[in-house]
Amino acid sequence: MDFNWTDDERRFRDRVRAFLHRELPSDWAEVARHGPGSAEQTAFSRDFCPRLAAEGLLVPHWPAEWGGQGRPTWEHFILGEEMWAAGEPRGAQYMNVNWIGPTLMRYGSAEQQARYIPAMAAGNAIWCQGFSEPEAGSDLASLRTKAVPDGGGYVIDGQKIWTSYAGLAETCFLLARVPGAGDGKAAIAIFLVPMDTPGIEVRSIPSLIGHGDIHEVFLTGVRVPASARLGAEGEGWSIISYALANERVGIPRYELSSRTLSRMAARLKDEGRFDDPVIRARAGSAAAACEAARMLTYRAVSMRAKGQPAGPEANIARVAVVEADHAVSEFGMDFLPGAYTAGGGNGGADDAAILAHHERAIVAGIAAGAAEIQLDLVARRHLDLPRGAA
Amino acid sequence: MDFDPNDDQRAFLDVLEQMATGPDAAWGHDPDWKRYQWSPALDATLDENGFFDCAAEPDLGPVAGALMVMRLAELPVLVEAAASTLLRPRLAPDLPRPVAVMTGDGPAPFLPVARSVLRLAPDGVSAAVLDLGDVAAAESLFAYPFGQVGTPGAGWQAVDADPDTARDLWRVALAAELAGVLKGGLGAVLEHVRSRRQFGRPLGSFQAVQHRLAGASARIEGGAWMALRAAETGDAADAAQALGWMQASATRIVYDLHQFMGAMGLTLEHPLHRWTYRARWLKSALGGAEANLSLAAARTWGA
Ligand SMILES: Cc1cc2nc3c(=O)[nH]c(=O)nc-3n(C[C@H](O)[C@H](O)[C@H](O)COP(=O)(O)OP(=O)(O)OC[C@H]3O[C@@H](n4cnc5c(N)ncnc54)[C@H](O)[C@@H]3O)c2cc1C
Repeated sequence: MDFNWTDDERRFRDRVRAFLHRELPSDWAEVARHGPGSAEQTAFSRDFCPRLAAEGLLVPHWPAEWGGQGRPTWEHFILGEEMWAAGEPRGAQYMNVNWIGPTLMRYGSAEQQARYIPAMAAGNAIWCQGFSEPEAGSDLASLRTKAVPDGGGYVIDGQKIWTSYAGLAETCFLLARVPGAGDGKAAIAIFLVPMDTPGIEVRSIPSLIGHGDIHEVFLTGVRVPASARLGAEGEGWSIISYALANERVGIPRYELSSRTLSRMAARLKDEGRFDDPVIRARAGSAAAACEAARMLTYRAVSMRAKGQPAGPEANIARVAVVEADHAVSEFGMDFLPGAYTAGGGNGGADDAAILAHHERAIVAGIAAGAAEIQLDLVARRHLDLPRGAA
Repeated sequence: MDFDPNDDQRAFLDVLEQMATGPDAAWGHDPDWKRYQWSPALDATLDENGFFDCAAEPDLGPVAGALMVMRLAELPVLVEAAASTLLRPRLAPDLPRPVAVMTGDGPAPFLPVARSVLRLAPDGVSAAVLDLGDVAAAESLFAYPFGQVGTPGAGWQAVDADPDTARDLWRVALAAELAGVLKGGLGAVLEHVRSRRQFGRPLGSFQAVQHRLAGASARIEGGAWMALRAAETGDAADAAQALGWMQASATRIVYDLHQFMGAMGLTLEHPLHRWTYRARWLKSALGGAEANLSLAAARTWGA
């Protein structure tokens, strides 16, 4: 066992940090204060991602054939940590890098690959993920949006909800059900749908995490050619499983939490409050939660780096990551409540960072799947407990 | 980063596993219904085969030592591993074992079976070889043989070691032991809820049970990795953090483990208490969760 970074990995991290230091503008904390799906961050990512690509830091882990350098898993992971901790300047484009691109490489037609992958590798493609529906949240397989075969193509009708980035995305990675193709998962197919196709209407949902982040997407008589379908009709669910396996450990949220906690501790020290034993114990507890999440995540990444499937290990990591995000966020609210009210903080970048962290933390146990679903998976796959009654 | 044991560590753990699943490691209730079961046979076998010296072997190291402490703590029987494996090689390699550890003046675990004792006082480390008659056994609710020592006949010898470093080594050892103890208890409860049926289905199929056990397992495994990292880095903040995390987690986990075992868990015919009453002592060690987490915070960010 070895819990150290190699020299190469250290150098890689330094390089990413130096790039961020150089390229992020002085008002970045304000831009990042808005969620990753905001108009501000999306606009920023259109400028930032091409620069990242030019530096070889957008898709370094992709194969050379698709504009990458075939770099190791750990480097991809370090990149994710540094980007998330910096407020995710890639905006929506992190999805392309992590799973949409790799999924198209594996399942896309030559035409789909040529149309979409180079734009992703260049840093100029905004996608959204049309999975959840009003009646299909955790139980995703119960989705109802229909894609009815019609004259060699499909007509899609239905509604998506909670769709991040939909307001500004060019393309949607959309799940729909093809009637007659069986029930349940077998009937699910994936469509790559340009968002300017007639019949698509997007409405932003006012939320606790900043405006422009989540949306409703209404699909009414949306006509797409057969060439918009990814994979075969019955193959949708297995493609999603592949796509999500690429996302298994999820966002390295503990990295931002841990750095935000350090800001909070520094602030409490400045205010002469850090020798309070209650504050210190709570800070220590939140820090420990971050480190538990980090170690469990690294455990799963370490398996992936060796080509072993990280199943339950990834589920366990996600449970711990949610706890860490909340521990830090609640620590801030309990001991630095001023930071969440205009005029109550120190008026600097710290306030923006603490607020931005809070808004990212409150979604941790819900976005990308509820924590309870992860606990179910840990119980069944890791603890070998019997499946619950339906 | 590599979360897999190296070849030497793997070979070492394989042999350890044979002993940990052998007859000397198996549960059997004590003839006098004591809450613990000291296994002199297993302790001696491990000793004779040099297991307690693993941390000083370059290819095994303190990580192997911490893994061994965890694995042995999962057993329903007791051997003295934490001090012998993670303290003795660094502080006083010549002390006869079993080694008891005192961090204050009161009763301490293992003293009745120990041949030496290390005293980790804030202002200095000392050691004593114990003679018959030095130790008075003490009844305790905690599932260790407890005893008290006044002035040992052979007297205390000063140990040339930094007292803070010594206590941090002990923190790592305690964190590893607590992770192992909770894992042992969790394993027993999992076995129970998989097979015990009520309402026409296994208890373990109820989501209320599943989620609490899944949460426990995430906390235990997170803490176990933190303890292993602390063993490797020797970092003072890592040590306090690992112990504080395990101690803070233990309260809820011990409660849940007993809940899911029902009345059977309150008997001396089932070994659950072997783990939960060690956990309850371990979670109080060196000031308990808040003290250790607070110390970790001070070490990370400065007081
Ligand atoms: C910020 C944010 C961004 C999102 N972005 C997208 C996106 O881009 N694209 C997209 O498709 N979706 C997106 N989502 C939706 C997300 O995937 C869903 O919110 C999530 O899958 C949960 O579904 P739900 O909200 O309908 O909750 P429900 O399924 O209604 O569940 C509500 C709660 O009930 C509990 N629960 C549910 N099922 C179980 C169970 N089996 N056992 C025990 N408890 C259970 C959980 O606590 C859960 O949180 C986003 C969500 C958020 C918050």
